[in-house]
Amino acid sequence: MSGTEETGAPAAGTAARTGPPGAAAGEAAPQPPKEHGAGDGRAGRRIRQVRELGILLALALLVAVTTLANPGFLSGQSVRDLLLGATLLTILAVGQSMVLITRNVDLSVGSVMGLSAFAVGVTFVSLPGLPTPIVMAIGVLVGTLCGVVNGVLVAAARVPALVVTLGTLYMFRGIDYWWAGGRQINAADMPDGFLGLARITLFGIPLPAVVALAVVLAAGWYLRNYRSGRELYAVGSEPAAARLVGIPVDRRVFAPFVINGSLAGLAGVLYAARFGTLDATVGTGLELEVVAAAVVGGVAIFGGSGTVYGAALGALLLSTIDAALPMLQVGSFWQQAVVGLLILVSIGLDRLLAVRAARRLRGGGSRGA
Amino acid sequence: MSRPVLELSGISKSFGAVQALNQVDLAVDPGEVVALLGDNGAGKSTLVKVIAGVNSGDSGDILWEGKRVEINRPADAQRLGIATIYQDLALCDNLDIVANLFLGVEKTAFGALDEVDMERRATELLDSLSVKMPSLRVPVASLSGGQRQIIAIARALLGEPKVVLLDEPTAALGVAQTAQVLDLIERLRDRGLGVILVSHNMADVRAVADRAAVLRLGRNAGDFGVEETSYEEIVAAITGASDNPVSRRASVTRTEEA
Ligand SMILES: Nc1ncnc2c1ncn2[C@@H]1O[C@H](COP(=O)(O)OP(=O)(O)OP(=O)(O)O)[C@@H](O)[C@H]1O
Ligand SMILES: [Mg+2]
Repeated sequence: MSGTEETGAPAAGTAARTGPPGAAAGEAAPQPPKEHGAGDGRAGRRIRQVRELGILLALALLVAVTTLANPGFLSGQSVRDLLLGATLLTILAVGQSMVLITRNVDLSVGSVMGLSAFAVGVTFVSLPGLPTPIVMAIGVLVGTLCGVVNGVLVAAARVPALVVTLGTLYMFRGIDYWWAGGRQINAADMPDGFLGLARITLFGIPLPAVVALAVVLAAGWYLRNYRSGRELYAVGSEPAAARLVGIPVDRRVFAPFVINGSLAGLAGVLYAARFGTLDATVGTGLELEVVAAAVVGGVAIFGGSGTVYGAALGALLLSTIDAALPMLQVGSFWQQAVVGLLILVSIGLDRLLAVRAARRLRGGGSRGA
Repeated sequence: MSRPVLELSGISKSFGAVQALNQVDLAVDPGEVVALLGDNGAGKSTLVKVIAGVNSGDSGDILWEGKRVEINRPADAQRLGIATIYQDLALCDNLDIVANLFLGVEKTAFGALDEVDMERRATELLDSLSVKMPSLRVPVASLSGGQRQIIAIARALLGEPKVVLLDEPTAALGVAQTAQVLDLIERLRDRGLGVILVSHNMADVRAVADRAAVLRLGRNAGDFGVEETSYEEIVAAITGASDNPVSRRASVTRTEEA
């Protein structure tokens, strides 16, 4: 980040500036201690909140405009559909965020989800007697195993995540095709109890959406309140520094891949329950939408910052765009352009906020002199 | 004179064919600032890393409060009470000041991070060092170089060390920021810590150091009291000028080089 947040104090300190661009001019000389600005204390958090508020605002605006154009948009059924649609993306975005925070990326999630979904279908077909919860657990387990493969290759073999997961994207998809062999599994092959899961609601909210909410809250709580969660940010922010203070960097890189795999597996299970029609193409191309959701939600692609709450809001926003733009008679080309624009705007917004925060802080520091 | 808290004798270390350290001695007393000087490649950072346990020496003894100890890993050094601030800072830019201070030693309550306690301790620590920060909850990326260096030093103090190693702490800083860091180093001395300060900057050394130990090509090339030694004498030892009685006396074994 250094170099971009140069302050606007040109005259001060020019006499002996030997420091790197990140070092601010006009540093106050040693002075009697003062209170550490408690009033400014929430600045870091505020940046994040501004980001999350911005997404909520965009979301509200989009919903309002769409509802004006088409009042049916806010009907119970259409909201339920929207939430169901956002469920998978949200779960995947949470897992992806944890990987991104450690300065890695998992491009294989679409394939993992597809493989898990197909595994669920195949298990129902070939072992009809098996209880539904066990079949669902198998689906999650398939995802977890894929995550372990990714994690081992990245953390132990030290291959860059981009390369590893690009490879496993094709590998897992290849296994899926080989396994399916052109076969399709239909709703008729799966028990009604399983397919009914997507239709169960709690207080009017579809069960899968409740599951997604639980995933978001659990991951958010973990990242915010646990040492190992904090250490994920440290690893993504400055791997060398993390290693020097004794953080087990490889373990902290490995775990998010496994969690992300499990969540992709869970998404596969929910996909199977909701759509009931499974073939080898399930989840194709999803990975970029997942990364987009996380980035729009403020998770930096360079690691070390962002929250899963933001990523979940990003997923909700992208899903709402998908649902709303057709109702507004916007063509599918423009839908993609809008998503692209959103990514650019959100990254630009991040930079702007960071620069302004830095300027305000340093300005405050030199005024004390 | 008090007994040295840390004493190295005959430390050697080679990287393949490069003999980075050759029979180096060094001692630091409690409440003493020892400047470690030498040209580029003289072996200063290597010696710091040996003390910090990042590289272990090939041979030689390390005495800690008079007792022989082994330092094979960074954790060994930390357990003894040796804190190291590396040349390249090692802060996490995206984390705030409190998180950086407690990185790796976070305080928890019932398994969860105890932010309130950590913030209180951070405030206490920085106040005790007479350091003022604009805010404890901003990412350290937004701090100036001097402030970052101070955070790095403050973090090292959390473990209540007895010896602090600083590898070129002022290398990237402007005048005012350097003064802040030197101030802090003086406060460390006043607390009775032994400080080993690697520096290229003779002005810094004259400002805060009690003694100057010079390395040249991996060997001891003199040990001077800063008060009673002239600038020229120290520079001569660093560069290896031959007509220097102090350095000749300090390293009688190296007469063949002259
Ligand atoms: N890991 C390493 N592998 C091989 N050679 C090394 C390694 N570390 C240091 N050296 C060599 O050891 C010698 C001493 O290096 P060192 O980094 O200790 O010097 P220094 O006194 O800190 O110099 P500077 O003032 O430039 O920081 C140099 O010749 C260097 O090339
Ligand atoms: Mg060095």
